[in-house]
Amino acid sequence: MGKQVSIVIDGKSIETCACNTIVQAAKENGIHIPTLCYHPDLKPSGSCGICIVDIEGFRQPERSCTTKVQDGMVITTNTKKLRDTRKTILEMILADHDTDCPACLANNKCELQDLCDNMSVTTQSIPKNLKKLPIDNTSPAIQRDPNKCIACGRCIEVCSTIQTVNALTESGRGHKVFITTAFDEGMGNSPCVNCGQCTVFCPVGALTEKSEIDLVWDAILDPTKHVVVQEAPAVRVALAEEFGMEKGLATPGKMYAALRRLGFDKIFDTNFSADLTIMEEGTELLTRATTGGVLPLITSCSPGWVKFGETFFPDLAAHVSTCKSPQQMLGTLIKTYYPKMSGVDAKDIVSVSIMPCTAKKFEARRPEMKDSGYQDVDYVLTTREFVRMIKEAGIDFKNLPEEKADSLMGEYTGAATIFGATGGVMEAAVRSAFFLLTGENLPSPELKVLRGVTNDIIEATVEHEKLPFPIRVAVANGLGNARKILEKVKDQIATNGASEYHFIEIMACPGGCVGGGGQPFGCDLVDRGIRGGGLYDEDTALPLRYSHENPMVTKIYEDFLEKPNSELAHKLLHTNYFQRSEKDGSVIKEVTHKH
Amino acid sequence: MLSQKAIESIKELTSKYPKIESALMPALMIAQKENNNYIDRALAAEVAKLVGVSEAHAYGVLTYYTMYNTKNIGKFHLQVDTNIPATLMGARKIVEAISEELNIDPGETTKDGMFTLNEVECLASCGTCPVIQVNDVYYENMTVEKTKELLASLKNGIMPEPKNTYYFGTECNVLLKNRNVENSTSIEVYKANGGYKTLEKALTMEPQAIINEVKASSIRGRGGAGFPAGVKWGFLPKGTDKPIYLICNADEGEPGTFKDRQIMEYDPHLLIEGMVISARAIGAKLGFIYIRGEFDWIADILDKAVAEAKADGKLVDFNIIVHRGAGAYVCGEETALIESIEGKRGEPRIKPPFPAVEGLYGCPTIVNNVETLASVPFIIEKGAEAFKAFGYENNTGFKLFGISGNVNKPGVYEYPMGVPFNKLIEAAGGVKGNLKAAIVGGLSVQILKANELADLNMDYDSCLKHGTGLGSGGIMIINDEFSIPELAYRTIKFYAHESCGRCAPCRHGSDSIKMLLEKIVVCGNGTMQDIDTIVKVCDSVKGVTICPTGEAFSVPIKAMVEKFRHEFEALIK
Repeated sequence: MGKQVSIVIDGKSIETCACNTIVQAAKENGIHIPTLCYHPDLKPSGSCGICIVDIEGFRQPERSCTTKVQDGMVITTNTKKLRDTRKTILEMILADHDTDCPACLANNKCELQDLCDNMSVTTQSIPKNLKKLPIDNTSPAIQRDPNKCIACGRCIEVCSTIQTVNALTESGRGHKVFITTAFDEGMGNSPCVNCGQCTVFCPVGALTEKSEIDLVWDAILDPTKHVVVQEAPAVRVALAEEFGMEKGLATPGKMYAALRRLGFDKIFDTNFSADLTIMEEGTELLTRATTGGVLPLITSCSPGWVKFGETFFPDLAAHVSTCKSPQQMLGTLIKTYYPKMSGVDAKDIVSVSIMPCTAKKFEARRPEMKDSGYQDVDYVLTTREFVRMIKEAGIDFKNLPEEKADSLMGEYTGAATIFGATGGVMEAAVRSAFFLLTGENLPSPELKVLRGVTNDIIEATVEHEKLPFPIRVAVANGLGNARKILEKVKDQIATNGASEYHFIEIMACPGGCVGGGGQPFGCDLVDRGIRGGGLYDEDTALPLRYSHENPMVTKIYEDFLEKPNSELAHKLLHTNYFQRSEKDGSVIKEVTHKH
Repeated sequence: MLSQKAIESIKELTSKYPKIESALMPALMIAQKENNNYIDRALAAEVAKLVGVSEAHAYGVLTYYTMYNTKNIGKFHLQVDTNIPATLMGARKIVEAISEELNIDPGETTKDGMFTLNEVECLASCGTCPVIQVNDVYYENMTVEKTKELLASLKNGIMPEPKNTYYFGTECNVLLKNRNVENSTSIEVYKANGGYKTLEKALTMEPQAIINEVKASSIRGRGGAGFPAGVKWGFLPKGTDKPIYLICNADEGEPGTFKDRQIMEYDPHLLIEGMVISARAIGAKLGFIYIRGEFDWIADILDKAVAEAKADGKLVDFNIIVHRGAGAYVCGEETALIESIEGKRGEPRIKPPFPAVEGLYGCPTIVNNVETLASVPFIIEKGAEAFKAFGYENNTGFKLFGISGNVNKPGVYEYPMGVPFNKLIEAAGGVKGNLKAAIVGGLSVQILKANELADLNMDYDSCLKHGTGLGSGGIMIINDEFSIPELAYRTIKFYAHESCGRCAPCRHGSDSIKMLLEKIVVCGNGTMQDIDTIVKVCDSVKGVTICPTGEAFSVPIKAMVEKFRHEFEALIK
């Protein structure tokens, strides 16, 4: 703990760390200071001016988000003058904000709406002056409505500082300022990797996913279509908080029940293909490690990371696992293996996935993702869209009975479910790699050293007398961390001819998929950690915790794929990569080839 | 595509700055100049790559500064200053004449691609307006007649030599001493008149002795805030291992202010000598002159002067980079200016930390105004006491006053601090018509009515006593032909245009007041409640913006509304 100081806030004496800002010290002590642009995970910008407080001896109010506490400070957070100022600022922001709230995807999740409500902003004395700018629909994943933008700057901060993608900028000046991409050509013509963190950090509905709800409703209602759905691990721990239940609680049973009531014909689970991924990727790792292949191997399940890699590190493409992501593996199997086993015609199948992720929308539309002979995944819904469908259908989620997924590709182990948390893929992989190398399971499946939401890269060495060599691994969450570890790998290869690592897990989003760009609005690192915790709890509670023990995975190899990394497995479950332009993400050339 | 020559120039720029991103703004200007005066995406991408920034970053910068064009514009870009002094002095008629002659409205380009017309904010020609900026060249003291002649010449593809006449006067003979000297910008002439002698003296002094002398002179920053310069220097951390930077603020953007250009245009070596002495005092090895981009020809004069001084060995253990802005009022605020030198949008930083502790590139930095730095040689040569002989306690020294608006001889006048307002106006040829009001410290202070001006002296304390501020010393005279609601509308249009947009109270406050005044003054459908709302917004903005811009419009607007409320009410139907 850092140096302590004594301050007074609203008459209450407080001891707090000198490292804190006023807003942090207040929060620690249960005092609520209204804020708008402030977000605990970002460097405060002080742009909105809502969090102003009076400090004794200061000539004018100060921003509590950017002002550090000092010993002896006497702070008042709530006077008539401060309230009036906050209300006037909000009134002025509303004059420049599209207030058609019911039509907004952030309705009831909007921090501006909430604040105006709390501050009783009722008057409208300021003339409306909307910018009336076109909506940016250029991206397959993210929609940007500048008429809702309040120029708080959070999206730029997360895009440039945390993700180091730099797709966004402020444009213009004064009232004309809004957030855009280079030359207003749109997210789809920028280096945006579709991670969607901007949508999670946006306090209003200016940045959202590009919704595909209507297309999915149409497919469900079309009697000629057989609609098959899959759900990513992180989705099952983000529903509870949306329906008045304990945050982070895993609710797979209710999730399946809700999907059935929405009218999906077949319910599989991405967790099944997560187990399958471990078999494919684990085998790939061991093959590379024992035959002098390219190392380190880097995971490939996060499509935001994959596009980031293709754009900024194309020369490392050979290091990225050739495995498709679990979504795309299952998508291919839904239109190959499933028809074979069920007799349903693949051409009648509509394959839908529910993902915590906006980048999955882009991934599903990659032209090469057609190994089944059809587009492997037709529609991708984010967790947020799924929640909206449940609400639209009037389903009482909280009181739904627990149901099961459909068999064949609905079974999973604990190793699969932790894919949704940072470090989870690595942990699952190590569990099975150990088995593949030694013929027996680890003494304990849990590798807690790899767990936890931090802003740092986690490095570890897995050592065991039975292992032929110690396995050196690293885990990076957030693309800024990805950039750091990849620079390090490049340096090591350049200077030593090889990197110290065997295997690296990279997740585009802070906290992993539980913190994905398609997850419920308005979460911080703590919330991400809680959702991740829900996955680890589920893992502990599951009877099987090793991917290689999933009986349906064993079955699919017996019935269809033959063995991990077989020729058919390569054809259906593996992919190749491209170099992309840093300017607009377009394909420049193929850099790895499909086997 | 950038030409090979441009690529080389940009590469040379990147090697000049401590960090290559700082070359972004000048590099964009190079690109724009060779591409028919505008920058498209491909060009921006090329420049961004050369200076190591993202394309989005470059676009953010391009759209922040008004001098960059991201769309094709005419061969001759006609920019008419329609700010307050210019409006008072007839700029509207000039815009109308051009509109009529070329058959385009402001913001439009002629069909043949020859001309683009734009109304722009303060070009710092308040004493010589109306002014038309054609590409890089200022044509000042314009009349409708002269405008027609100019257009006729431009239609033939010829940019005539500008013939600008200025009024000026000096009682102190320090800062305007060389104003009438022929070839005053050359180092030879400067030296022949005793220039760089003080530098020799300063080189024999301990740095602390220089600081002490400046402190003793009690000179207050001449940019507008009036903070004692010596005290500011004292805020530098002792024994830092980081480089220390000295920045001369030559952004001169406050409406009514056109004084610093007199020094830079006619006595650049005085400024350079002041900078070298100051740099020695604070331990700076590198200095910048951040000059507003519109002053392109003055920047050229400075570049030449810096090269001369360097060749003559005057830049002892020191170097100066002349950094051109590109059109942004807010860059006059010191942290915004620093951001701008770093190649970013010129948006103010949250303070603390103050620049003296963490400024340019995160290093200790002192930012002083041109006039302040140009006063340093006198203080070191003649001593603090001689400086204090001008003015009186707390209000010491000589000062440049820019006088514009409804006076007979608008111009820059050098007088001691505390000079009576009336004496200055007399020097400027007296009021044209009947005096109604004046704004005496640049646009961002309270307006004073004629009766409040009677016993005003032009110094910090007297201005404060009269409820206003000395600011930059830019005085705008308003006669009774001009309506205050219109003045208020014109004022807020300026700030709404210049607000950087970084913080909500300023961004929305300036726009909200503009919308409300537009209702009252332009549309004629304002209500009494709108007048009250203006005051409410002013009260909510003051003191809660990140930089002083919020105060700069809330204070004068509120004063105009409160002091001339009857004029606003008369417009309510």
